[in-house]
Amino acid sequence: MPPLLAVEDFYAGYGPIEVLKGISIEVQPGEIVALIGSNGAGKTSTLMGISGCLRPSRGRVLWQGREIQGLPAHEIVCRGICHAPEGRKIFPRLTVLENLQMGAFSRRDTKQIERDLQRSFELFPVLAQRRGQAGGTLSGGEQQMLAVARALMGRPTLLLLDEPSLGLAPLIVVKIFEVVRQLNREGMAVLLVEQAARMALKLAHRGYVMEIGRITMTDRAEALLTDKRVQDAYLGE
Amino acid sequence: MSNTTAPKRFPMAWFYLALLVAYPLLVYPENALFRLTEISIGMQLTYIFIYAILALGLNVVVGYTGLLHLGIAAFFGIGAYITGILTVPAYPFQVGFIAALVLSTAGAALLGVLLGAPTLRLRGDYLAIVTLGFGEVTRFTLRNLEEITAGTRGLNPVPPPQLPGVLATPLSWLGIQPDWSLDYRLFYYLALGLLVLVVVLLTNLERSRLGRAWVAIREDELAATCMGINAARVKLSAFALGCGLAGMAGCLYATTLTSTAGPDAFDFNRSIIMLCCIILGGLGSLRGTLLGVVLLIGFDNVAAPVLDGLIQGANINPNGNPLLTFSNWKLLIFGVALIVMMRFRPEGLLPSRVVEEELVGYAPQPRGKLLRAR
Repeated sequence: MPPLLAVEDFYAGYGPIEVLKGISIEVQPGEIVALIGSNGAGKTSTLMGISGCLRPSRGRVLWQGREIQGLPAHEIVCRGICHAPEGRKIFPRLTVLENLQMGAFSRRDTKQIERDLQRSFELFPVLAQRRGQAGGTLSGGEQQMLAVARALMGRPTLLLLDEPSLGLAPLIVVKIFEVVRQLNREGMAVLLVEQAARMALKLAHRGYVMEIGRITMTDRAEALLTDKRVQDAYLGE
Repeated sequence: MSNTTAPKRFPMAWFYLALLVAYPLLVYPENALFRLTEISIGMQLTYIFIYAILALGLNVVVGYTGLLHLGIAAFFGIGAYITGILTVPAYPFQVGFIAALVLSTAGAALLGVLLGAPTLRLRGDYLAIVTLGFGEVTRFTLRNLEEITAGTRGLNPVPPPQLPGVLATPLSWLGIQPDWSLDYRLFYYLALGLLVLVVVLLTNLERSRLGRAWVAIREDELAATCMGINAARVKLSAFALGCGLAGMAGCLYATTLTSTAGPDAFDFNRSIIMLCCIILGGLGSLRGTLLGVVLLIGFDNVAAPVLDGLIQGANINPNGNPLLTFSNWKLLIFGVALIVMMRFRPEGLLPSRVVEEELVGYAPQPRGKLLRAR
């Protein structure tokens, strides 16, 4: 069986600056994969490349065995890859409810959307309280929850989650990770980009370590957690 | 997603509409106001309706989709000139009003797409500069293509629409003469009718998938793309609709004026004034846009000339001192009003209701607080 997602020898960049220099990543169905690395390693660009927001200059992205690299982003969403971009990127002047509805933009099954809305409110009760409030008036943690919930409204087979812990209180990060784990148990695969490497590796099944545009290590998450080099460079021990 | 329609969303809309429909039929207020001001308010209202269509078109591009378009007047002019070419006796087409209206709208929309397709990937200021440039290029083209556009003279006479024969009797009951040049009320109802159609169309679009996609792109283009929105196509559709409505307004303008007017009627100032209308009323708000047009165009076309007349009538200014002519202060007042607005009510006089409506529907929150926070 082919992996759910296979990124093969992927090159991409911004103008003359090449950021991704031949990376290869695989995500199996139902797996949580963490992508860790320092600032500027190319983690966010990797997610952007997969979701179609960044065009590759070389290499392939296979989704369930089919090439999707170079497709426009809106078509990739329809295939079940939802991207919760870095820095939350919620719609500030739309209400919480409307933000969530926008997450289901690629779907047309109205009844199921309504049920998924209720589900989001169960997963994040604070969003239910704030449903009529403009997204921009939420606190940072609430905005991040909204961003995750919004991505989930697309019913992803694979969720691309970019830096969900950025600038948040540890308690809220725990809450978001809990939801991710719960949805993963129900079958959703996750590719998680995180600077908080320890938390990410504790959540994930497997991990990749990225350095200046290349994958330098990959292993089971527990193995990476105990690896001396990873500990020194990213876990601060 | 609620499918609220116009009457429910604007409970007052029916009242204002009834007022506008009744005004010319009552005859007396028009005559009384004319004696008072020496301006046909009915005729000025007709122009306000036309500019309202133009502003609503601009609001689709700038208000909903957040694309700063500084050349809307060019599309207004293109609509007017397409109508001119298609209807004046100097040309062999003379297709009649309905066909001219459709073709002006479609033509302006098409040109909007042609301008938008290569430039819409530009953002913010850059797009503004391109549209501004296009506006000026259009104006100079209209002026210099003398063989086609008659240069600064403009094309005329644009004939009035043909009245369907069945309307003659009901019109005579209402005391309206079936001659467009004798009775302003025919143009008045034509423009009002089209404006109502446009408002209904936009009210429904606002709540449609497309309307939501426009707003999502305004709020955050990257996030919108991540939601599965085809940003390029959605932006282009906003551009096409906005420019098309401007073309429709242009057709009405030329027909009402019986001339395309000169190219200078479609200059940068016109674009800016329309932009001021929607900013004053509240970007992205239908009601706000309409209010903005009434206030600004009303000020420009009615209040300023009336005050000029008063000053002249009072004989304060026998030597024609330019400082004592109200019109010369117009732009200054305009500017100060906008600055004051930006300081104290940046969201506009009647901001978009979407947020407020959701509040009422789900969780009551103090409204003022939310508006401040935005």
